[in-house]
Amino acid sequence: MTIAAENLAQYNEYVEALDMLDEESRFEYIIDIGKRADKVPFPADCMDDAHLMHGCMSKVWIIHTREDDRHKFQGASDAIIVKGLVSMMTGSFSGLTSAELASVSLDHVRGLNLGALTMQRQVGMMAMLKHMQKLSLQAARAEAAD
Amino acid sequence: MNAIGQPSSQPGHNIEGGFDVERIRQDFPILSRQIHGKPLVYFDSGASAQKPRAVIDAMTEVLENQYTNVHRGAHYLSQTLTDRYEGVRETIARFINAPSENQIVITRNTTEAINLVAATYGRKFLGKGDGVLVSAMEHHANIVPWQMLRDEKGIELKVAPIDDAGVLDLDAYAALLDGNTKLVAITHCSNVLGTMLPAAEIVGLAHERGIPVLLDGSQAVVHGTVDVQALDADFYVFTGHKLYGPNAIGVLYGKAELLAQMPPYQGGGDMIATVTFEKTTYQEPPYRFEAGTPPIVEAIGLGAAIDYVSAIGMEAIAAHERLLLAYATERLMALPDIQLFGTAPEKAAILSFIQQGIHPFDTAATLDRAGVAVRVGQHCAEPLMARLGVDGTVRASLAMYNTTYEIDTMIKALERARTLFG
Ligand SMILES: Cc1ncc(COP(=O)(O)O)c(C=O)c1O
Repeated sequence: MTIAAENLAQYNEYVEALDMLDEESRFEYIIDIGKRADKVPFPADCMDDAHLMHGCMSKVWIIHTREDDRHKFQGASDAIIVKGLVSMMTGSFSGLTSAELASVSLDHVRGLNLGALTMQRQVGMMAMLKHMQKLSLQAARAEAAD
Repeated sequence: MNAIGQPSSQPGHNIEGGFDVERIRQDFPILSRQIHGKPLVYFDSGASAQKPRAVIDAMTEVLENQYTNVHRGAHYLSQTLTDRYEGVRETIARFINAPSENQIVITRNTTEAINLVAATYGRKFLGKGDGVLVSAMEHHANIVPWQMLRDEKGIELKVAPIDDAGVLDLDAYAALLDGNTKLVAITHCSNVLGTMLPAAEIVGLAHERGIPVLLDGSQAVVHGTVDVQALDADFYVFTGHKLYGPNAIGVLYGKAELLAQMPPYQGGGDMIATVTFEKTTYQEPPYRFEAGTPPIVEAIGLGAAIDYVSAIGMEAIAAHERLLLAYATERLMALPDIQLFGTAPEKAAILSFIQQGIHPFDTAATLDRAGVAVRVGQHCAEPLMARLGVDGTVRASLAMYNTTYEIDTMIKALERARTLFG
């Protein structure tokens, strides 16, 4: 399954922006995204264990909604940098269909080229992606059961 | 340059208090590394310390020239390496002033040493309703083994409280010794707060009531002289990798009469005297507790680490670290936004803190950009974090190779974090 290019517009924007920056500026870029995400309200009642992704150094919450056949995600974290990272993930991969979302892979995460930059590493980003994929599957299953 | 508040302003000029830290730094190859294009500032020695050339060389030398199994070969290599391996037991015994090398059990780490005591001494001598007393600032390694014993045997886990500075409440501790307490298992130095506990007093109060004491010396052996006889500790445990030695080796010291009464821990080779399918008899301590091929190369490495720190002198190391601690505390507290956890008067060079309004992860990530390695999170001490009322802290744990100059680097990075996130 290939993902329709227009559905990856946000992702490609991140890739291009990061590509032009040196490491130090990338660090600040992520912080800026985190700070901007901080201004978008995240429903307080979703900052609960049900939406929490388990990690040790910081907390990550992700909520999932559906618009027609498109999956939408919103993420939050108690740490700004992690909020920046989770926003990049939810921003990049919102608006995809179930099949498209399932085909997002480690290569996409690598494509953002954040691995060497942050303490959160690709492992953490992959965990976020897996969590998003899991949420979409759960939602699909719940609908099927209705 | 050696007085607190007058930091050496340049790397390479760090003869602090007569301690030639620059010479010591040259013994640690990794310290010349760059991280993100900046010199590595390693402030995570409390998690695991870096290794001096002497340790690396000793281990390489064994692997290249002397390697074989120990305790079982009739040949030259096995006999010489066995002698060398057993020599390390003597080195360890001397290091903590144990009466005999036969009271030194080699384990994988502190965690295994505590599990060993719980599984042998604990299973044999503790029963339903008996209390094991720990403190509110234990590492999980000194909590979970006792909880497992609680679930298995119905013992009670009791917790001695601390005050807001991170000092053990000795009166409360003494009161908790009464009643059902049958064992004290307590840290000698907090890995989060740096608090040095009054171990001799802790042991004395317990012994007045006939209660044995296990001390977790993981952090304490690194920061000063430990004398298990002066402390009158019944068990003393520590781990090699924080003491500038390799990982995968730890130590359990025990009083001879206690070790003699303890059943084996794991079964297998090395720990047996005779084996038939009907009956097996066990070796005397310490071998009874060391089933299977031991960490041979790691033991040689730990021996080299102990020789290395002993040659410098634990008192000299402690004095240097006191200067670092005082300097780091002063510089941190001069920042407007630092909340420091752990202000005990007796304290090792471990600084846990948060920057007000900034998540510890964001602080640590900014430090990382400056080449400064710290730990962030709960530090394997979740109950302590709950007591402090925080989700986590940043922890800078200093060691003998650190300098005031490096502390300045951390302070600058903290100022940058304030600009980025404030
Ligand atoms: C006080 C204390 N106890 C126990 C441990 C566990 O050490 P290890 O993981 O080597 O068993 C540590 C280190 O993490 C520690 O600081």
